[in-house]
Amino acid sequence: MFLLRKQKQKERGLVVIGKRVHTMHMSDGLISTPVAAVAAVAAAALIAVAGTRVKKMQRSDLVPLTGVLGAFVFAAQMVNFSIPGTGSSGHIIGGVLLAAFLGPWAAFLALSSVIIIQCLLFADGGLLALGCNIVNMAAMSCLVAYPLVYKPLAGRSPSVARTMCASVAACTVALEAGACLVAAETKLSGVTALSTGTFLLLMTGIHLAIGVGEGLATGAVLGFVRRVKPSLLDRGTQTGHKVPTGAVVAFALAAAAIGGGLSLAASQDPDGLEWSVEKVAGTGEPESGGTAAAVAAKVQNGTAAMPGYDNTLSGVIGASLVMLTVWGVCSLLTRRRPVAVKVRK
Amino acid sequence: MGKIDKALDALAAMERGAVAECPRCMASTRADMLLTLVYLALLLSVPLQEVQRLVWFAAYPIVAASLAGCGYGRVLRQSLYVLPLIAFVGIFNPLADRTPAFMAWGVEVSRGWVSFVSIIVRGLLSVQAVLVLTACCGFADVCRQLRALGVPPFLTTQLLMVYRYMSVLLEELQTMARARAARGYGRRSYPLKLWGAMAGQLFLRSVDRAERIHRAMLARGFDGTMPRYTAADRHGPHGWEPVAWTVAWLAAMAWMRFGRLITFNL
Repeated sequence: MFLLRKQKQKERGLVVIGKRVHTMHMSDGLISTPVAAVAAVAAAALIAVAGTRVKKMQRSDLVPLTGVLGAFVFAAQMVNFSIPGTGSSGHIIGGVLLAAFLGPWAAFLALSSVIIIQCLLFADGGLLALGCNIVNMAAMSCLVAYPLVYKPLAGRSPSVARTMCASVAACTVALEAGACLVAAETKLSGVTALSTGTFLLLMTGIHLAIGVGEGLATGAVLGFVRRVKPSLLDRGTQTGHKVPTGAVVAFALAAAAIGGGLSLAASQDPDGLEWSVEKVAGTGEPESGGTAAAVAAKVQNGTAAMPGYDNTLSGVIGASLVMLTVWGVCSLLTRRRPVAVKVRK
Repeated sequence: MGKIDKALDALAAMERGAVAECPRCMASTRADMLLTLVYLALLLSVPLQEVQRLVWFAAYPIVAASLAGCGYGRVLRQSLYVLPLIAFVGIFNPLADRTPAFMAWGVEVSRGWVSFVSIIVRGLLSVQAVLVLTACCGFADVCRQLRALGVPPFLTTQLLMVYRYMSVLLEELQTMARARAARGYGRRSYPLKLWGAMAGQLFLRSVDRAERIHRAMLARGFDGTMPRYTAADRHGPHGWEPVAWTVAWLAAMAWMRFGRLITFNL
């Protein structure tokens, strides 16, 4: 109680800007711990490689440039564009766009940091799912779709129309690859009861439309810059644009193998934590044996108003009531005050 | 109030909250990060059929949000933004898994419905834990602690850069959007071509700004890495209270995950 008594209340700002949540941002609720761990390792490895690559380029201007362009993606997402012929509107994700200006590795870093901030500040995607989101969105668009689709299609100095076509193709590939990964991760986590084929069809169907929209938006910005200041686009192509395709493919295969192996192990024993506890403690769930427990169970069965009911429902209702009480007590004890700007001395 | 104004207001409010004294941080920011990670790992390891166990996990965001001064009601409201996505993935479970789980007031509840509720509960709780962490500790402090924990400086620098320039570029965009609204004769939507020109213009301004920043940084002795904060950890531990806070929550979380739950006779 001393903690509650001692503290002074301040209103704190919580930031959730607009409804920007879409199906590409994996939430923590949709993945299991082993899948999250594998993806986190993959994402960390890619970030480390990107860091080394960017350092090797020895361009100190990349530090503010990637930072400001990451912030640009946020700002650009605030204005929705209307999608022609559909009456709906969308916002940009920005992977291929950043890669066209910064090169794949620096763009990967910029987009990863955008995803991390979206998770930490905007509740867009989960904290444990960060690895999944970085691989699904940043890696697929900057390290796969850009070098393998955009670059070959656009060529060295493309026309505005060619830029548009290359953008649409690259963004569609990026979004579809990401959607396949989302489906695979959700399925491996054992969250969805849908069959893999149905789920995959659903996800890729939705993301086909999003991919085309993203491609049109990317093409519109790239076309504008190509008309107004083409040197910006040509500067990007001089350094750091080479992604070793072989390495990317090898990495993807390795990640898939590790992920597949781990998830197989996880599916044979769905609860990794319980398994490890069992290993350590030598027993599974704590036994509910003993005379006292037996007597209690008898009394419980005798006194329960609805003895036929499963523990789940009564457990949920009971626990919810306790949580509501905790909330009420906390609200009573911690009175809120309006925001006051405090100047630190 | 427009979307951009709202975003700027929210960012400013968050900055004020982070600068203000942190009542919840009995422990250091680092300990809060550890608690959040342990919380998420344990929460996500609960089997989907044990929804009654998941509900107990709400205790952490409720107490932490109240102590942080955000009020759990607001955190709950904010976390509802992720509901559509979670519900979209989970809604197929009741259709696909119709194995009966239990009877409730004469109605048979299937395992699919139980897992659907589980997915929603754990999705919301995991978002709430992260929201409370950043609302209380502030993003800059989280980045500083990440760097202290060994995250490479190129990433933390990048994160701080994006965070700092978000509000700057939002203001820039606000000016452009206002100019467009003033000359748009009531037209609100942004057709693709117009949007492309506007985003492109913002892009060019961003690049110019980055160049100016770079020159300013070089003039101040920038050598590729951002200078490290030397000030002591603002939320540093004081006495035994932080230790008690952390240990108590770790014990409580372990009980929520592995302990025998209290049964209710309803």
